[in-house]
Order: sequence, then structure tokens, then C-alpha cells
Amino acid sequence: MAKKSINNIKLGIFVLAGLVVIIFALYMIGRDTNMFGSNYTLKVRFENVQGLTSGNNVRYAGIQVGTVKRVKILSDTLIEVSMLIDTKMKKYIHKTDVVSMSTDGLMGNRILNITPAKDGYSLAENGDVLIAKRSISTDDMLETLDKTNRNIKDVSEELKMTFLRINSSSAFWKLLSDETLPNNLRASAVSIRHAAVNADKMIADIHLIINDVKAGKGSLGAILTDTAISYNLNEAVVKIQQVGDHADELAKQLTSIAETIKQDVNTGKGPAHAILKDSSIVMNLNNSLSNIEKGTASFNQVMEALKHNFLLRGYFRKLEKKQKEEQQ
Amino acid sequence: MQAVFTIERKAETGVEPEDVLTIKNLYKSFGSNHVLIDFNLELYKGENVAVLGKSGSGKSVLIKCIIGLLTPDQGTINVLGHNIGELNIHELDEIRTKVGFLFQSNALYDSMTVRENLEFPLRRHWIKLTTAERTGKVKEVLNNVGLAHTIDMMPAELSGGMRKRIALARTLILDPEIILYDEPTTGLDPITGKGISILIKEMGEKYNTSALLISHDMKCIRMTADRIIMLIDGKCYAQGTYEELKKNNDEKVKQFFE
Amino acid sequence: MPLPQLWRRFLSETGEMSRFTGRFFVQGFKPRYEFSELLHQCFIIGYKSLPLVGLTGFIMGLVLTMQLRPSLVSYGVESELPMMVGIAVVREIGPVITALIFAGKIGSSIGAELGSMKVTEQIDAMEVSGTNPFKYLVVTRVLAATLMLPVLVILSDAISLFGSFIGVNIRGVTSFNLFFKQVFDALSFEDFIPAFIKSYFFGFAVGIVGCFKGFNSSKGTEGVGRSANSAVVVSSVLIFILDLLAVQVTDILGLN
Repeated sequence: MAKKSINNIKLGIFVLAGLVVIIFALYMIGRDTNMFGSNYTLKVRFENVQGLTSGNNVRYAGIQVGTVKRVKILSDTLIEVSMLIDTKMKKYIHKTDVVSMSTDGLMGNRILNITPAKDGYSLAENGDVLIAKRSISTDDMLETLDKTNRNIKDVSEELKMTFLRINSSSAFWKLLSDETLPNNLRASAVSIRHAAVNADKMIADIHLIINDVKAGKGSLGAILTDTAISYNLNEAVVKIQQVGDHADELAKQLTSIAETIKQDVNTGKGPAHAILKDSSIVMNLNNSLSNIEKGTASFNQVMEALKHNFLLRGYFRKLEKKQKEEQQ
Repeated sequence: MQAVFTIERKAETGVEPEDVLTIKNLYKSFGSNHVLIDFNLELYKGENVAVLGKSGSGKSVLIKCIIGLLTPDQGTINVLGHNIGELNIHELDEIRTKVGFLFQSNALYDSMTVRENLEFPLRRHWIKLTTAERTGKVKEVLNNVGLAHTIDMMPAELSGGMRKRIALARTLILDPEIILYDEPTTGLDPITGKGISILIKEMGEKYNTSALLISHDMKCIRMTADRIIMLIDGKCYAQGTYEELKKNNDEKVKQFFE
Repeated sequence: MPLPQLWRRFLSETGEMSRFTGRFFVQGFKPRYEFSELLHQCFIIGYKSLPLVGLTGFIMGLVLTMQLRPSLVSYGVESELPMMVGIAVVREIGPVITALIFAGKIGSSIGAELGSMKVTEQIDAMEVSGTNPFKYLVVTRVLAATLMLPVLVILSDAISLFGSFIGVNIRGVTSFNLFFKQVFDALSFEDFIPAFIKSYFFGFAVGIVGCFKGFNSSKGTEGVGRSANSAVVVSSVLIFILDLLAVQVTDILGLN
């Protein structure tokens, strides 16, 4: 009988040990969801919550202070997020504090960050709505990129048209008695074509990326949210815009030249000849072209850098492969 | 033959014998194998009856039907005035306290000590006993089978003969009125078997039980049984005392005495 | 249409096992309750399995950590190691490995024990002694297995995580506090509760299969061996099938 009661004691210890571990585990897990502590609710309104769901963490200046309780749609452009915040934080969080959305780590969960406002207004009470900071999303970024691309495309179209017009008009060439001038112009035209081809290729590349990203292919979508890469992309966008501006200017110049030439040629008046003889215009043209070339080259450099970025390496390799296959 | 015997006994003792176990028209078959066909048996108070038969002749099936471990296809079994087939589980348990069963393989619980083995039926049937009373009962019955020293041993530590004695002690501990022996000497050497046979006889007298013993061991049957029933072809083929049957000239009966 | 022999046997065994399970539910909730035997079985099935389960859990945690490290290092997310191991252990590896070890130890011992009790008529003897052997032997063991396996899983999870902590510290350095904070930060109730609930089912499967195989053991010592063996095989397979069901149920309930 004594043995039996000892066995029962051992069994009791065994079961209690299990119970202690489970209670400890539940407590540890529940600690972050604020299930066992006192807390209060704060709200914030966003246009787009980018996949934020209840249970995501809320941080105050990087410190874990609570969780997202609920995500509610107020209207088609406004979404209200309720946050459960540890009561201990009541004396730190102000009504003017800004809430922004970011990602925990490279591909982690969405988190809300409460950034302390410099000049403390009054402390936030239960149910108060804090200020939301609009974050730049991947989609916004891509939209800008897309607009730029369309600009570039337009510019290069115009460049092509102009070039074609100049090229196809045989009468125009005959009008030019000076041999050096047409040579120069020819060289310029080749350059224009080069630039246009470059721009075209660039656009195709970007379109491919955008389509893939929009379709959510690969890990690219997730990677684009990474700040380093988005900086690179932003830089690319700026450069492309610069190129576009240059090209725009150039196009304007070229069109005005073409207009004048057309007029002159059509009316058979002299000024065309005179204008074309003026090598300073040609110089300008060449300058503009070299600017475009520089622009596309620097864009290509950015692309090249992207290609060598270890995260995107796989993506570009796939792209190359695909292209090769298509060529075959 | 049966009727003759009853009259004989009446003549001997002068009193109507009280039967503790009556089996009438018992049928039992397993699939197409008809084991018992119209089997009849009566066991009187204080009497030891042996059922003799070849292996596989249905002896074990017979006593398992008596204790309610198997249900017969047809026929009635009357134990101590109760029809086994009509009892519910609680009434059956009540009867089972009065009917001991010594299993062929002893059926001692391997995971328990000898003491726990003997206490098990006590705890189940005589719930009101105190610990001291239980221990007293266990010691008494162990003394009777001559194995008092094994009380805290495990069954696995005991020899075959000892285990048989412990199993007998376990059936005796509830003071049964009837004991059913399932081949008590099978698997034992002749000397141990003889010892067990003597013990069965002794305990039968001491505890004043009736016994139904099934076996094919002639020596054991000769020592213990007052009357022998030959179970051949699923029927009560012949019965009588050892001497009576030995003189029988029937071919099938003779086989057992060669 | 005559079914192949193998299929017939499989189907009839499935049917018998279902009936056996039904019998468990019918008889298990009717008095009388064999409470002291239940405690005894809990002691044997639960407490006595702890060293084995603990050892395997410890090794599992350690090995898993060492194996995962290189691939995490190549992504530069070595610091996520406690999180990965924590989720793997709590969600899947803890319950399944523990249940398999449990099936090997307890399933076979129940199968062999009841098998030999059947063969040596102990089950009959019990019935003759006024005890319902189904209640005394089967119900207690199945309940004990069902109740004890979750406790074993919890303890094994804890030991596994400790093993993982040591695994992390073999190649790198992390403090005990940081390790467990990372683990529990990564875990949520959705990881923990389904794993806990499914271990009840694993325990029930091991208990019922072991008892079924033992209780229906054929005569002779060979039959005993066969019941022990098939108890382990069938309950292990059942554990995986239940695991598959569990993942689908949690998926449907949105607990992933």
C-alpha cells in the first residue's frame, strides 16, 4: 500500500509539472496579446492598411506596447484600426503622436509604430484617435515609375518620328550643299536612334518588372518593401525623370527645327539652308543627345546594380533565361 | 444410466439428494463444429464429478458455459437454483461468488503479487471487508494450500505446481459451494500432479464443496472423482464410478483405460 | 463480388475496431468506475514514459537546431533560429514525435499485456471474479493514455526547447531569457492549442488500438507478439492520419 501511495505522489508531481509548464506557456504567449494585463484602446485611421490584421504588434518608439485589436472599414477610403495599449503607457502617449505602418524585419509581420511628437500636447485617453502618417507603398512607387516610363516612351516616339521625317525627305538632303552638315546630322540621327532604342529597352524592362510585381510573382513583391531597394528604385525613378526632361526639351527643339525646315523646304525659301548651316544648332542637338545617352546609361547602371543585388539576382537570372529561350 | 444412479444413491443414503448443478439438453456449436449435442448432467451436493474426454471434445466449453463465459445455443443450465441464461450481469456475479473456477493456465494476474491476486476477488465481491480481515483471509487460505511464505512474491517467481496451488487458493478464498476444475493437472509432472490431486480432494472436504472436474488424466480422476462422466461425441456417453467404467466393454470407453 | 482476402480482413478489422471504440464509449461512462486502477495505469503509462519521451524530445530539439542553423545563416537570419525551432517543436514535432515514441512504448506494452492476459485466461478469470474486464483493463488504459499523452507532449516540448537552447549555444551565444523570449514571442495560441488538442486524439488512438489488439489476441504466444507488433504499426499510422486531419481542421477553422 505504501508503494501505491508513493506512486500516486509521483503521478501527482508529473501531472502538476505538465500543468505548470502549460500555464507558464499560456502566460508567456498571452503576455504579448495583453490578455492578462490591463490595457486601454487607441484608434488610428488609414486610407490603406496594407494587410494589417488584429494581433499585429504596436510599438512606441520601438518598444512593444500593445497589439492591434480590430481593423474596421469606416468608408471606402477610410479604415479604422483599434489598438490595445498597455495601461502603463498612458502617461507617455500624446494625442499628437504619429502612427505609421512598417514591417518587422525583411519579410516580417506588419507593425504599427507610434512616434512620439516633439511637443507634447495632451495625453491620449481611452478611445482617442491618433494621427496617421501616410506611408509610401510599393504601389504608389510603381505608379510613379509607370508615369515616367510613359513619358519616356512618348519622347522616344517623337524622336523616332522626327528622325524618320528628316531621313525620308530626300529633297531636304539635296538642299544641303554643305557636305559636313549632313554628315553631322546623320551622326546625330544615329545617336538619336541609339538613345531611342535604349529608352525602348529600358521601358520594356521596367514594364516586365512592374507586371511581375503586380502579379505578385516571386519574392520581389515582398522585397520591394525593403527600404534599401526602394531607395535604389527611387533613385532610378529620379534619373529616369531627368532623362525624360532632357528628352522632352530635345524633342521640343527638334520639333521646332523640323517645323522650320518643313516650312522652308515646302516654301523653297532660304532660311532653312541658313539655319542648317549654323553648326551651333547641330552642336546643341548633339549635346542634348549625349545628355539622353548619359541618362539612359545611368539608368542602365542602376539596372545593372539591381541585377547584382543578391536578393534580385535570382529574378534577373530567370529573366535572362526566359529571354534566351525566346531567342531560340 | 443416469436414472439408475440416482436411485442407487437414494438407496444408499435414504435421503433425496440435493442437486447444485443441473444441465439439460445443452447444445453448443462453433460454426459447423457441433461440440455439445444434447448434453445432460447433474451434480449433487458434496459430490465430486469428473468429466472425461479427449482433447477438443468440448470439456472446456462445457464448464465455460456453466460459469457464463460462453452462452449455449440451446438448453438450460441451473446453478444453485438459478437458470444462468436468465440472469442479468449482477445476478450472474452473485452466482459467480459461489462458483469457483480453477483455470487450466491458472490465470494468476502477472502484474500483481500473490497477496494482491488473492485479494482481488475479495475486493470485488466482499467489499465490506476491512484490511485486517482481508489479510487474515488471505493468510488462512495460503496456509491451507501450504504456501504461506509466498505471500509477497510475484506469480512469475513461482513454479508451476505452486502457481496451481495459488490459483486454487484464489478460488477457495470466497468459500464457494461449487468448484469447477479445468484440467488441474495438465502441464504438471506426475508427482506434482499427484500432490495437486490430493489437495483438491482435501480442500473439497475441508471447504465442503461440490466439484466438477474435467480432465483426461486418469490418475487424477481416479483419486478425486466420486463419479465419472464420459463426454464422447458431444454427449454424455457413459457414466459411473471408476471401477464400473473400467469394467465397461464399450470400445470407446475402453480407450481411456488402456 | 468477392473482395480480395486482404481487403476483407482490413475492412472487417476496421469494423471490429469501430465497434470496440463504441463499446468503450458505452461502457466507459457507466459505473462502476475503476478509479484506483485508472490512477495506477496513469502512473505506468504517464510517469514511467517520461524519461524516454524526455530523452527523445531533448535530442530532437538539439538536432533540429543544429540542422536548421546553416540554412538560416546563409540567409543571414540566424537570430530567427529560436523562433523557427519553437514553432516547429510546438506545432508539429513535439506532438508527433512524442506520440510515436508513446505508441512504440505504450501501444506495444498494452498490446502484449492484454494479449498475454487473454491467452492465459486472466481476462476470463477477471470476469469470473465479478469484474468487468473491459472496464477494468480497457477503459482505464485508454483513458490513461488519452489523459497522459498531452502531459507528456507538454513536458517534451519544454525539454525539446531546452535542447534547442543548448543547440543554439553550441555555435553561438544567447542568454536563456532571450532565447525563451524569442520563442514565446513567435508563438501564439493558434500554435499551441491545436497541437495540445490533437495530442489527446493521439493518446486515445494509441490506447484504443493497443487494447483492441491485445483484447482480440489469438491463442498462443505468437498471437501475443503479433498483437504487440500490430498495435504499434496501426497506432503509428493512425497518428499520422489524425495529424493530417488535424491540419485540415485547423486550416478550415482558420487557426493557421
